[in-house]
Amino acid sequence: MGSRGVYPHRRPFVSSGGFFFLLILVLIMGFFAGAPTPAFASSVLPSARSFGVVPQNPVETDAECLKCHKNQAMSTTWGILESDKVSLYVDPTAYNNTVHLEAGLACIGCHVGYKPESGHGNNFNSRREATLTMSDACGRCHGERQEEVMDGVHAEQIAAGNIAAAVCSDCHSPHTITRIKDKDNGLVSAATHFSIAKNCEKCHSAIYEKYSQSVHGQANIEQNNPDVPTCTNCHGAHNIEDPRTMAYRLRSPQICAKCHTNLDVMAKYGLSTEVMNTYVSDFHGTTVTIFEKVSPDAESNKPVCYDCHGIHDISRTDDPTKGLEIKQNLLKTCQKCHPDATANFPDSWTSHYIPDAEKYPSVYYINLFYQFFIPAVLGPMGILVLLDFGRSMLDKFSSPKRKTTSPKVNPMPKKKEEDNDGETK
Amino acid sequence: MAKPNKNTKLVPVKLYNRFNVVQRLQHFVFLVSFTLLGLTGLPQKYPLSPISVWLFAMLGGIETARLIHHISATIMIGVSGIHIIEVGYRLWVDRIHISMIPWVNDLQHVIHDIQYYFGYKKHKAYYGRYSYAEKMEYLALIWGTLVMAATGLMMWNPITTLRFLPGEVIPAAKAAHGGEAVLAVAAIIIWHFYHVHIKTFNKSMFTGKLNQHEMQHEHPAELALIESGEQQPPEVRLRTKVIRQIVFVPFAIFVFVATAASVYYIVWFENTAVAGLPEGETAPAFSPLPTPTLVVFEPTPMPRPASLTWAGWVGPMLNEKCSACHGADGVGGYEVLSKESSIRGGNAGPGFVAGNPAGSSVFAVQAEGDHPGQLTKDEIKYLTDWVNAGMP
Repeated sequence: MGSRGVYPHRRPFVSSGGFFFLLILVLIMGFFAGAPTPAFASSVLPSARSFGVVPQNPVETDAECLKCHKNQAMSTTWGILESDKVSLYVDPTAYNNTVHLEAGLACIGCHVGYKPESGHGNNFNSRREATLTMSDACGRCHGERQEEVMDGVHAEQIAAGNIAAAVCSDCHSPHTITRIKDKDNGLVSAATHFSIAKNCEKCHSAIYEKYSQSVHGQANIEQNNPDVPTCTNCHGAHNIEDPRTMAYRLRSPQICAKCHTNLDVMAKYGLSTEVMNTYVSDFHGTTVTIFEKVSPDAESNKPVCYDCHGIHDISRTDDPTKGLEIKQNLLKTCQKCHPDATANFPDSWTSHYIPDAEKYPSVYYINLFYQFFIPAVLGPMGILVLLDFGRSMLDKFSSPKRKTTSPKVNPMPKKKEEDNDGETK
Repeated sequence: MAKPNKNTKLVPVKLYNRFNVVQRLQHFVFLVSFTLLGLTGLPQKYPLSPISVWLFAMLGGIETARLIHHISATIMIGVSGIHIIEVGYRLWVDRIHISMIPWVNDLQHVIHDIQYYFGYKKHKAYYGRYSYAEKMEYLALIWGTLVMAATGLMMWNPITTLRFLPGEVIPAAKAAHGGEAVLAVAAIIIWHFYHVHIKTFNKSMFTGKLNQHEMQHEHPAELALIESGEQQPPEVRLRTKVIRQIVFVPFAIFVFVATAASVYYIVWFENTAVAGLPEGETAPAFSPLPTPTLVVFEPTPMPRPASLTWAGWVGPMLNEKCSACHGADGVGGYEVLSKESSIRGGNAGPGFVAGNPAGSSVFAVQAEGDHPGQLTKDEIKYLTDWVNAGMP
């Protein structure tokens, strides 16, 4: 029964007039929310927001600055250290090629608060203080990036008082910076990609040293191979996480898996994409996966990829001195956590192989056995249960005549081989 | 024994003893450890299932789950040892009939029941003390416990195991452990639950007793035997029984000690893995390359210019050092491109005043020491001499 005839007096919840009013209101609000705000629209700088300063004509004001700052010998000393002697030279040719000039950013776009007198009103105690102070300027256009940086380990270090930690300009020299991303596809350009490791080396030279010897580092640095990861592929660029935390450790296999489960990339090098699956289905990987899901900050000493393969010094698995395909090397690796492990021990790890008739046949055949054995046992059990259940239901709901007969058919059985004297009871 | 019901005048229901308290206790301990093993074990076989993740979260993480698993396994091994002693006692001392072993008539019963299900028989097979369903389950329990204990102990003590066996047995044991676990749990749910919980709710494993009605339905052959009085084992003399008991004691001690010792060894002996975290990165994280600092040479003493005049030294020197900023349209209104503009000065006052270095703004600015185009001490000295000489 429809309600139409039953409640003729019922009116729509919103009248037609009200409905249209609401519709118009929603449309107007949608227009404001969705429309690009002209002040922030910038086709030139997809990643940088509008400037926080009134744009100047860079050609005019920059020429004024460069009058002095194109002088290569121009320098000043901040603080008391001779090492704090700071070059004030700006290479005009390099600056002319920067993405900043392309975007129409004048010197005073960043160097705000400029004063005309010598020193421009700056009074820093050290070269580092000048850098740290100036780096605030980046956020005026690159606010999102700076927010990411604030979440990162470098900002955390600075907040803790370690002023040596990197700020924007330590990696992106603002007077020479060219486009990081390809203008056409929006991806990090090859030139940038191959410059990243060198950039990090400025502070992490010992890590770089290791990385440059690794299978990834060699391909990156010596062969400019874009398939291998550079620093930022694993650590991120701005919101760099402290890699020494438990959370990072537990999540790290997924970082490796990003590339190592990618069929297209791995096929080029004949590498298996089953490394993650086989890891997760193994004791170590199961533990780490569950830790990551249940208690991502808790400590687990079960190995993740890098505990066996190395962190920055990852080598080929067939490397004669370190490769894990060589049993002696694998045993040494096992013994790091299993000091009592004997020569047999490494074979208990199926080495990222899915067992088959050749590799780990006993595992393969046991799995195969249970594939048949389980249904072979459960099948007949299930059939007998279903038959029993079906028959009991039939008896229960069929004609009462049949129902009454069945209990009567339940006398004391006669045992063939025995006498009948028990029957009398 | 039969107990008259106070409230009704129905015929009192006769009760039959089915399981004694030791058997019931064994069942209870086994069922608890089995359940815990299943709940903590299966999620390890299927770690990615949301149910597993939820279970691990409930249990307080995978390590706790493993601890519960190990404790339950120890308990199950213990109760299995006690079962061996208990069955051994009843077989050897009481000389009971081995009624749990599947036999030909069990197969006949299965066929009979199938015929009954399809209507070819009027009743089910007359089961004895244990039906084929129970025998099947007991057989599965023995087989399952053996496989699970053997493979589980291998995985628990891999290093010890691999002293005697090739490495591959560990993943093989894991495969068998997982397969057998699925089989055991599924069999319990399909077979056990159906027969003693769904078909009828058989409480005898907790109460120890079945009533006459239940006996008639489920163990008619046994009931007949009991009622016939033939079920009782032959009476033995006390002396014989005591001798049997004495003989039995070493066996019991052996099984007990063997079980206890192996459990002790399994739990405490092998140090499979270190407790701490694996060694992390050995390279220091922050090891900066030396910053390319501005090289500042201490100037070698400058020889006095041969000709201390504007054209001979002052003009070219100022042009080289200062004109970058103070060239045409120079900073601060000061230009050094010509002698006139240099002397005239800029916003800071006259550049040079003949015979009066103190009144010359160039010296005042340079005295601050950090002018972007800072002159050397020697250059200032000779420039002062030039001013004092009247700026030739």
